[in-house]
Amino acid sequence: MRSTSADLHTLTGAYAVNALSDGERAAFETHLARCESCAAEVAELAATAARLGEAVEFPPPAHLKARVLAAAAETRQLSPRTARVPRARGYGRAGALLAAACLVAVAFVAVQTVQSGQEKQLAQLSSQYGRFSDLLSTPDAKIFSASGANGATGTAVMSPSRNEMLFLGKDLPAPSGDRVYQLWMINAEGPHSAGVLSSPTSPLVASGVPGAQKVALTEEPEGGSPSPTGQVVVEIGLA
Amino acid sequence: MPKRERALQSIPPDVGLAEPTADDLLALVARGDESAFERLYDVVSGSVFGLIRRVVRDQAQSEEVFQEVMLEVWRTATRFDPAKGKAMTWVLTLTHRRAVDRVRSAQAASHREEHVARLDPNRPFDEVSEQVSGRLEQRQVRRCLSFLTGLQRESVLLAYYQGYSYPEVASLLGLPLGTVKTRMRDGLIRLRDCMGVTG
Repeated sequence: MRSTSADLHTLTGAYAVNALSDGERAAFETHLARCESCAAEVAELAATAARLGEAVEFPPPAHLKARVLAAAAETRQLSPRTARVPRARGYGRAGALLAAACLVAVAFVAVQTVQSGQEKQLAQLSSQYGRFSDLLSTPDAKIFSASGANGATGTAVMSPSRNEMLFLGKDLPAPSGDRVYQLWMINAEGPHSAGVLSSPTSPLVASGVPGAQKVALTEEPEGGSPSPTGQVVVEIGLA
Repeated sequence: MPKRERALQSIPPDVGLAEPTADDLLALVARGDESAFERLYDVVSGSVFGLIRRVVRDQAQSEEVFQEVMLEVWRTATRFDPAKGKAMTWVLTLTHRRAVDRVRSAQAASHREEHVARLDPNRPFDEVSEQVSGRLEQRQVRRCLSFLTGLQRESVLLAYYQGYSYPEVASLLGLPLGTVKTRMRDGLIRLRDCMGVTG
């Protein structure tokens, strides 16, 4: 995507009403970090859009309150943003990590809704979720994402200091028959299995592989394969 | 009057006379205060749920997104920067983004016909007109919307209340992309000036 900065400036309105694609939003946020007048305009237009939101106020069902408060009590808050990251880069990174955090939460809710025994599941997921937020808030965490041919996207968050990777798929089609999605980390020696996704919407945390250059997702027979046999669904470069 | 003065004196000055605002509460939530989160819930949940319901439409999905958003408010309150805007704006920006994500992913997975059924440019303003009635702020929004040109209003409302991207709005309204971008911006600027929003 090629945009001049004048083009980008006219996107303040579309950005404030969230009418940009993910790619454009990311490009615009990078621009925002450097453009003070744009940031001021976005702040005002976002506040204006919020008034449209307030105008359609409607109370949620009463039983949701106890559920939200209970979930909050089980959920660890993000650590406050530190000043260690240089500002211009930090803005984009923080935005991207927040987007990743959102994906985790989407996966979290998606899993929660299909499973029964919700209260127990919720407690389990909350503790997993705390682990993700720790990884996401690690200062050296870096985010990479890519799209596959069928519109599916994959996002990987790597933290060298924790030697961990978090993978999240979005819009992955259901694998055919008994097949499953298996994740691979690829370095100069070849692919190393990072594990099998328990469902297309489940996040996966794996240990890092030295010198990993790529992460790839393939469809494999149930239980996974020692080395990839299926077609690559999404491939994410780690550079 | 002397009676009133006595009542005022009995309140410690640091507590203040007004109810805590969303901004006060969010600052406490950022420090991990669960009781402040409960009070913040009471202050923002109607706006959060109303907006989600408007964009997502389906009740069960709206409830899911609502819980997800409220949990996200709790989890990321530590990242709220009061220098960049008001708490309510921060909460509703997050809310809107999640609601739109849900509509767009549902749209990617659903049938074409349902997508087409959403394409009714007259709907958003009619529905706003019908719902936006009682409170003063709501009347102000309605009044200010009426000062926009038709295209400005449709561009803003199709995107905000129905979650359309600007290329979708462009195809719905039969306008070039660049025109829609500027209509959205011009429309919001006019609303901002009419409502006296300062960011």
